[in-house]
Amino acid sequence: MKSDRVIDARESFCPGPLMELIKAIREENVGSVIEVWSSDEGSARDIPEWVKKAGHELVGVFKESDYWRIVVKKKR
Amino acid sequence: MGKIAILLVSGELEKLQSASTIASVASSLGEEVLVFATMYGLLAFKKDVVEKKSWKSYGELVEGLIESDLPLFLDVLKEAKTNENLKIYACSMVLGMLNLSITDFIDIFDEVVGVATFLEMVEDAKILFI
Repeated sequence: MKSDRVIDARESFCPGPLMELIKAIREENVGSVIEVWSSDEGSARDIPEWVKKAGHELVGVFKESDYWRIVVKKKR
Repeated sequence: MGKIAILLVSGELEKLQSASTIASVASSLGEEVLVFATMYGLLAFKKDVVEKKSWKSYGELVEGLIESDLPLFLDVLKEAKTNENLKIYACSMVLGMLNLSITDFIDIFDEVVGVATFLEMVEDAKILFI
């Protein structure tokens, strides 16, 4: 799946990556795929929780060498 | 969706920061969030305090917080207010007690209210006392 937007939040720590995702979700259209890169382990667990509660789709959490790619589809 | 009320009583930066983060994430999930600032929790928003960053805290954590690029509680709340259903109220008792006007504070408050009004507003809310 191709992402419409990639947020590189690898320098940021919790809740920075989540805050950046929230902002991006507001700005993008329904159906957009947004990918957050985070080197923060807390965020890798926290962001999927938010996505579930907020009613969006978690496409996946992919572990790269030293960071996670969290891919989200905006559903509403 | 639910309703969360945060009673901001403490003016310590770590509490202000935690409260604003919870408020912001909860509002992003569609919760209605009401923040009632009183005591030092209200004075933390005074123009001179904000200007001098003279919040009631010290030490490793606070220095780290101010130096980090994490948005401070004021900006976190402003951002949530602009985009979500979050309202901030100032306690009228503290204003009266210290002879202050709402214009002595940064422009963030929706209204000055008393405790009875607040109680009525939060009747059906989960309350966090910080």
